[in-house]
Order: sequence, then C-alpha cells, then structure tokens
Amino acid sequence: MPELALDGIRVVDLSQGIAGPYATKLLADLGAEVIKVEPPSGDYTRQLGPFPGDVPDPDKSGLFIHLNGNKKSVTLDIESEDGRAALAKLIGTADVFVESETPSRMADLDLHYNDLKAAYPDLVYASVTPFGQTGPYAKYKGNSLAAMALSGLMYITGDPDKAPLVTGGEPAEYFGALHAWVSILAALEHRGQHGGGQHVDVSWLEALGSADEYNTPMYSYLGAIRKRFYSRHHIPTFPSEIYPCRDGHIVVIGGATGFPLLMAILLEQPELEDNPLFQNLWLRTIEWKEFEAILRPYLMDHDWVDLLTRAQELRVPFAAVLNPETLLGNEHLQERGYFAEIEQPGVGKLPMSGNLFRMSETPLRHGPAPALGEQNADIVSEAAR
Amino acid sequence: MSLPLDGVRVLDLAQVYAGPTATRLLADLGADVIKIEGLKRMDITRNFVMPENDSSDDYWNKSGYFLLRNGGKRSLTLDFSEESGGAGIEIVKKLAAHCDIVVESFTPHVMHKLGIDYEALKQIRPDVIMISLSGYGQNGPWRDFSAYGMGLEPASGISSLTGYEGGDPLRTGISFTDPYSGIVGAGAVLAALVYRRRTGKGQYIDLSEQEAAIPVTGYATMDYAMNKRAPKRMGNRSLWQAPQGVYRCAGEDNWLAVTIRDDEEWTAFAKAVGHSEWGSDPRFADVKGRFANHDEIDALMEGWTSTRDHIEAMHELQAAGVLAAAVLNPKQVLLDPHLKERGFFDRVQTVQKDERLIPHQIGAKFSEFEPNTARRAPKLGEHNREILGGLLGMGEDEIAKLEENKVIGDEPISAVPLPVMRMFVQWPLTSYLNMGALGGIEKDYREQLGIAQEKTEGEAK
Repeated sequence: MPELALDGIRVVDLSQGIAGPYATKLLADLGAEVIKVEPPSGDYTRQLGPFPGDVPDPDKSGLFIHLNGNKKSVTLDIESEDGRAALAKLIGTADVFVESETPSRMADLDLHYNDLKAAYPDLVYASVTPFGQTGPYAKYKGNSLAAMALSGLMYITGDPDKAPLVTGGEPAEYFGALHAWVSILAALEHRGQHGGGQHVDVSWLEALGSADEYNTPMYSYLGAIRKRFYSRHHIPTFPSEIYPCRDGHIVVIGGATGFPLLMAILLEQPELEDNPLFQNLWLRTIEWKEFEAILRPYLMDHDWVDLLTRAQELRVPFAAVLNPETLLGNEHLQERGYFAEIEQPGVGKLPMSGNLFRMSETPLRHGPAPALGEQNADIVSEAAR
Repeated sequence: MSLPLDGVRVLDLAQVYAGPTATRLLADLGADVIKIEGLKRMDITRNFVMPENDSSDDYWNKSGYFLLRNGGKRSLTLDFSEESGGAGIEIVKKLAAHCDIVVESFTPHVMHKLGIDYEALKQIRPDVIMISLSGYGQNGPWRDFSAYGMGLEPASGISSLTGYEGGDPLRTGISFTDPYSGIVGAGAVLAALVYRRRTGKGQYIDLSEQEAAIPVTGYATMDYAMNKRAPKRMGNRSLWQAPQGVYRCAGEDNWLAVTIRDDEEWTAFAKAVGHSEWGSDPRFADVKGRFANHDEIDALMEGWTSTRDHIEAMHELQAAGVLAAAVLNPKQVLLDPHLKERGFFDRVQTVQKDERLIPHQIGAKFSEFEPNTARRAPKLGEHNREILGGLLGMGEDEIAKLEENKVIGDEPISAVPLPVMRMFVQWPLTSYLNMGALGGIEKDYREQLGIAQEKTEGEAK
C-alpha cells in the first residue's frame, strides 16, 4: 500500500453539517484517521438525503456519504457527564479536534480550547462556524444563504430586476471547509516547525468573503459599487456568459484572441469580422443586447458539443455547462478517473467525488462512510486499555 | 512572530486568479514567494481596478485586483521566449535549487517544452514539491482546452444548480472556481509539506480547477447516482427547509435573506413580525405545509420586510431567534461592524502611498500566530536585483546585460501600443452606471471608509 500524506495523524471530529465534516473528509482522504463523534441521533446530514428510492435511512444519506467517507463513527451523548468525560479522553489521543457548535457552547461543556490546552499542549483545535467565535454576529444563526448574503457575493449574483441570487450547492459551507482544512494543515506545520498546538477559529463568512474577486476593491479604489447584472463581470471580458443552445447550454467566452476574427468564423458569418460590435470591446459590452441578437439565434441552431469542439479548435475558451448526469458521464473526467467507485454497505456502488487532485507519492484514498456508531465497540475498548 | 512556513521559498510561475490565490495563502503563512512574470507576459490582472479609474503613468503597479492575490510577494521579471536565448529558463533552473515549492498554471506541456517540468526540476532539487494548477488537468481529452475561470464554474456542474426557477443556469458574480481551486491547491501543497517533513520526500501535484469544485454538487450528484433524478434550479429556496428566500426591503435594492429551519423558528418569526396568527395557522404548522404554501408565505413575509431596512430587520429577527441576513452590497461589506471587529479588512499602504482596505485571504484566526496579510503587491520587477544579485549572487555586469536584452525590466512590453492598453485599463464607469450594472459611484468613498487619501510629499502628481 502506498504511503499517505497524513499517515499517523489522528483527528477527533465533533462537527456536523457540511463545513466541518468536509474539512475532515479531506484530511481522511489524505490518510488521517478521523473519528467522527456523533450524538446518539447522528449527524443531522444523515437525515437530509438523498436516499435510494427516497426511503429515509440514516446510514444511506447521499450527502452524509459524500462528506464522511473514510471516517470512523462513534456515538457519545455530550449532554451527559460520562459522555463529556469520554470525549475529553478521546481528544487527548488526537492531533486535531474539530467542532462546529455555537460559540460559547464548548465553554459551557468545559471542552473549550482553553479548558484543554494545559492538558494537551500539542492539540490543534479548530472551531468551524458561520461567523466565527467573536464579533457581534458570533451567535447569530447562519447557513450558506446567510453567509453569501453578508459576504457581498449575493448582491452581485443574478439579474438586476430580480432578487439577488444564491449560488447552488451550499457554497459557503464548502468554502468554510476548505479554509478549515488549510488552516488545520497550517497549524500542523506550525507545530512541526515551532512546536505546540493552537486554536483555529474559522468563519464561513470570511472564507467566502475572501473569494471577493474585486467587489470591495472597486469601492475601496474608485468608489464604484458593483451590482448584479446577469452575474456579468465588470472586468472587460464580455461575453463570458452561459447561453441556451439547441440541446442545452454553452459558455461563450471570447477570451483574449476570439474577437473579431475567430468568433466570426465560429458563427459562420465572416462579415461579422468587420462589425463594430465584434471589433470594439467596450461597444460590445455596452450594446450587449445588439450583440446577443446576433449570437443567440446561431447558438439555438447548434449543439453544445459541436460549439465547444469548434471553439476549442480555434483556441477560443468556450466551456461546457455540465450537470450531475453529464458530470458522471463525462469522458474527460472518466479518463482522469475523477469519480472513485466505492462500495457503500446497504447501498451498493456509488461514485465518490473523488480525486480532488493527484499526488504522485501519496495518492488520495476513497472509502465508504460509516454507519452510525459503527466503531463504538473498537473505540470503547481502546479507551478501556 | 513565528509563522508556519518560515524558511519556505516558493517559485511562483502562476498568473491571473487561481494559482496566485494559492501562493498568496502560502505568503500569508510565512513563505517567501517569488512571482515570475514576463515583460511580454505580465500578469493580466495588473490591468484591472485602478485607483480613481486612472490608467496613466505606471498603472500596472497600482491595480487593486492584482494586490488582492499578490500582496506580500516578491516580483522577478523573466523572459521565456525563444528570442531571449533561454536566459530566463537558465535563471529559473538556478532559482529552483533554492525553492521548496514550484507553482505553475500554464497549459499542460508548456513546462515540459520549456525544459522545467517536474522531472527536470527534481534533478535540481530532489525534494521539490511542484503543483500544476490548470483548467482541466494534465491528461484526458480536454487537457489542452483553453480555460478561463468564467467557464469552469459551469464545467464543474455548480451553475446547473444556480438560477431562478425555470430559468437558465447562471454563474456566480465572481469567477467562483478560481479562488475555490486556489485554496484547494494551497491545501494540497501544505499536505505535501507535512509528508515531506516526515519523510524528506517531495512530489508532484496535478490539480484541475474543474475537478476541484465538483464536490460542491455532492448532494445533486449523489441524487443522480442513486435515483437518476436531475436537480431543479429553484432560485433562493432550500431543498430541506421552508420558507427560505431573499425578500425585498425598504429602500433602493435592499434585500433580506431568511431561512425558517423548523416549526419553532416559524412561530418565533410570526411573533416577531406581529403576526402570531401565521404561527398558529395549521396550513403553515409544519415544513410540509410551508413548502406547499411557499408562494403565499413569501408574499406575507415580503409584506413585512418591505417596510423595514434590511440591516435593521436582520438584527430584529436574529434577536428573536430567526435566521436572517442582510444582502450587503460591497460598500456595506466594507463597513460591516462584525467584519470590522473581526479585523477582516487590512489597511494596506499601496505603492502610491495611499491606503486601501483589503479583505483577508484566509477565513480563519489563529491563537499562536497572525498571518502576514497587510502587505502591498510588488511593482513589476521590483525585486529583480535583490533576487538575482542576492539569492543567486549574479554580478552587476550580468544583471545589466539581462536588462539590456529585456530579459528583465520594470515596464511591460505590450503586444498593443501602450496608449491603446491605457484605454482598455480605464473602465467606462458612466456607461456601466447608465446600463444598471453599477449601484453607484461615490466620490467621497475615502471619507466613508476612513482611509488616508494624500500621497506623501514629493510623490504627489
């Protein structure tokens, strides 16, 4: 068996939902041993589905499986003193502890970082919450929608005459997860280089806010307030849009070299090379409706694979608009081996998402998610030793 | 203060958004990042977001866009083109001996063609960690595709989940997968560093921006795998909870996001807005009923929000135990008291000696160190002499010859004449405003943000 990057690292994970669990899933895929501590009722994502045939079963939730592969599950009731004592003991065996409780809750349980650091000076303790441990919104209720609203990204997403739009898939949770993962690894490197653990306070809002491409700079540099305009860029890149075509959708991007000639060739109307809308970027950006009146009818007569293939042959950076079906069937991703087939007990074969990146020496591993409390006996007997 | 990556040096050949995000994180964590640009191949983002929209003088050193992803790095210009006779490549090879990490974002095979792929660099530095960040990865039928960030969010499947009910897929208003994959890249490098610390071995990492973001579609992809069910775009609604939406508030383009997560929160909401009867209406009593009557509930809720300021309504509802958040515009984000107290924005002194507020690139606070974030971006070629003369010990004659041959320098050599470039760098803000693509242009933004305006004496124009 190949070596794994995080062999020998043990993580105890009390977090629920997406952000904390996805962070520890990335650690688990890299080889860390992740012990997921769940309440007797289980992580709430076990209730969220999707379920095969829509039959609810806490061990068959697709979202839970997606977020918890390669982990061990133990159930502990941290409402009870015994449960808290067992958790504290378990944390003592760990390099990393992750939690996602409302700020102050861990202190109420005497399991805050400050309660543990004297006993476990090398512990990396990560708190992963919507708004962080401090500040006026620390105890506000939050979800991905709320973080996207407060980050400013929602204000610039969507159509100008409609409500601001959230990005699908709970992106603030995933951004929070990535920042938690990076921060935990940074704290482990800090420990490796300088010694000692620490408390890491991750905020989904700040994780998503750091993806601010140039929204706050446009105000901080020139006083302009970016506003949603069909999710369109203000940097000079029009078009970089999703348009309907005959059999679906296609991303039309002219890129640095597409206009005027290559786009005219692509649209099979050579005379467009001389059209001012094709020659002048600013004119095209401002008179965008006239430009689209030329573009849209052509696209509606053609299929996305054809448009994508011909554009790319000319090095014009069109892109596909994939969905779950076309992702799972995509020949490029298949040849790359992106989705990893796992055998999930009780469910069967499932495509895990997957090979997030390829490491030449320490490949990622892929495995099923644990049933609720699957490792209770092992961990209890370990604790008794 | 000690940082996690003290003593780590990064050779950064990446440009634009994803790769520079990864190396910016490494710089914030203490690494010495040497960013390589060509005079003929300057990072294009040096052209975006000018102070006062002014593209005169050495505008390429003043970009706000560039600063976000490149603060704290050192800049070295090099020319990799054939007419330079390979001098740039020779310098990269010399530099590689001093670097722990190499980051690149070229189209696959460019590094091989240049003679500086992983196999070549490993000969020079056996424990090097190298990462390639590309649009579609190093192999597979799409590997050679020309890839822009705007195309990769749709290609990752996320846009198929984003959009108004019954409408087309939409992108996020930023190039979402660029920062997303940049952070994934930083994490992959950190994991490789942990492994190297333990074993002494380096390695090569192949990261595809398309792939990195696919997990965001996890629920929908699992649903398709299990049930062959395609996701529906549903605006701001939730799969699990009702009501959820973004509701119009009083004032111009003000909105409030609300999620009612359970029956208790619904009752609390109804009480908070003075309509306890909604809380006791049997049609709305459980989540099933609230889904069935979502449109009607939305209308009731908007009846209340439309009389309220969005930010005040957030505080009012949160105080009552309801999950609500104001949709902040970029200016309101900069002025938000929570982010201010968290220290999310750094006050950065720029090349032109004024101050700008710059958001953190790491969404976390650490008890034992503070990431080194509040730094300006380097001017083009600012550290040429320091790096070539210092780190590589090259003599003054040698460096002067490189300057003469335009291998290094401090002014871009653009394919289009510089005056034309300046027109492209200056944005038609008034047209944007008239189109409805801007929410406003405020001349007194410095006063509003409380940032210093004056250039120091002698530097004023």
